[in-house]
Amino acid sequence: MQEFLQQLVGGLAIGGIFASLALALVLIYNAMGLVNFAQGEMAMLATFVAYALINRGMSYWIALPVTLVLAFGGGIVIQRVVIRPVEKAPILTLVIITLGLATLLNGLAGFIFGYVPRSFPSAFSAQTIDLLGVFISYRDLGVIGVSGLVLLAVYLLLQHTTVGLTLRAAAHHPEASRLLGVQVSWMLALGWGLAAAVGAVSGIMVAPILLLEPNMMQSIIIYAFAAAVLGGIESPIGAVVGGLIVGVTVNLAGAYLPFVGGDLQLAVGLAIIIVVLIIRPNGLFGRAAARRV
Amino acid sequence: MALLELEEVRAGYGPTSVLHGISLEVPDGGVVSLLGANGAGKTTTLRAITGGVRWTGDIRFRGRSLRRMATEEIVRRGIAHVPEGRGICTELTVDENLRLGSHLRRDAPEVKKDYDRVFEYFPVLKQRRRLSASTLSGGEQQMLALARAFLMRPTLMLLDEPSLGLAPIIVRSIFEIIRSINETSQVAVLLVEQNARIALDLSMTAYVLEVGRVAVHGAAAELRSDDSVRRSYLGY
Repeated sequence: MQEFLQQLVGGLAIGGIFASLALALVLIYNAMGLVNFAQGEMAMLATFVAYALINRGMSYWIALPVTLVLAFGGGIVIQRVVIRPVEKAPILTLVIITLGLATLLNGLAGFIFGYVPRSFPSAFSAQTIDLLGVFISYRDLGVIGVSGLVLLAVYLLLQHTTVGLTLRAAAHHPEASRLLGVQVSWMLALGWGLAAAVGAVSGIMVAPILLLEPNMMQSIIIYAFAAAVLGGIESPIGAVVGGLIVGVTVNLAGAYLPFVGGDLQLAVGLAIIIVVLIIRPNGLFGRAAARRV
Repeated sequence: MALLELEEVRAGYGPTSVLHGISLEVPDGGVVSLLGANGAGKTTTLRAITGGVRWTGDIRFRGRSLRRMATEEIVRRGIAHVPEGRGICTELTVDENLRLGSHLRRDAPEVKKDYDRVFEYFPVLKQRRRLSASTLSGGEQQMLALARAFLMRPTLMLLDEPSLGLAPIIVRSIFEIIRSINETSQVAVLLVEQNARIALDLSMTAYVLEVGRVAVHGAAAELRSDDSVRRSYLGY
């Protein structure tokens, strides 16, 4: 039982990381019906920025917000420079552009920082505390706490501010929003900035576990896809719940299914995507895809 | 100088031209109807005004040309456009839809008064504030669209077929409220309608469009009493 609970908490911690990246995917999907395949690489690059800042002597807790602000700005720049000129192109064109962007960012990181894995500091010690007989590491608790705070901040922004309201309106009803004076094009840029910042959190949280290198996010993005699909690709809350479920499932499968172990965990993530798409294509929180025409 | 002036406006979608030179005026605080059959160009005229379709000629609002102006910019100058289909954000709650109407305003005390007015006009919206706008009936959605436009505190409202698909009794009450908004807040209205009878009752002047041109225009009372106009253009 103790062992199980420990795996559960570990799963929630990794799940919080998946949830952040999945939320980033959902933010952009909502804004323009596009799955951003470059989301993981954007997060990786942001993590390198945090690494560079910390390496130059900045404290972790200052480097983190500074990185998020830079990622936010970077997301806006990417939307303005790369996405906006082709905004009205067919969705397949946009998908290919995000794939190209992913390759570009990956190469850029490799060019600047090299491919040697680097250890990335964690703000939390690897020591464990004894909670009613269950040993939980500060690191897991810290990751859960930081992810939770970020998700809460995004929720409050979207649901309880005017900017969040116009962001949601622009995403779902661009034409009607324009007639209400909402600057839809800037709202898209804001969505990209927000997604980049939220995704950056996942990169910074996962780097101490995986070691930082340009391909670091390539497995994480698969889990994030699984989480977003499971939650219903349009639902921010779905992304969070999906992230936690995927994290726990993958962790438990790795611990208790001997044939999965550490090697086949990614296959579990892919299996979740396939099973959800077959059984419940709208995910847990998605609405039926049927639309009035 | 009229509040809104259209001068020889031509517009269309791609190679199809829909408006072949429309000229019309809406005076300050006036109610003007735009009548005509399906496909005459009524909706396109409204879309041209708020920049939803490319046009040539000239459109001036308070004397300033709206040429090459983005929709958001035009709207911020004081034109509220309730589009065909009402433009309700069905993903949002009733309250959130209303807040989108007032989100650019900085005069908080006045906004509060306007909310009170809105809930006086449409008590049902107050009851349903927390509900998703998608749960509203057609008539309630039309009320929401009108309320939201009112909260923008515009100087001109463009209303695209507010009667469409609604029961006669609801149409009558909605038109009463449009009249009241016009009279008490001096909001000018450019009203597109298929229901000529009820539109003419409300308006001072009317323009009848026929395949992208103004066929007849004049005082609403005159058009109403002219049998030949009524039979050939208004269909009642």
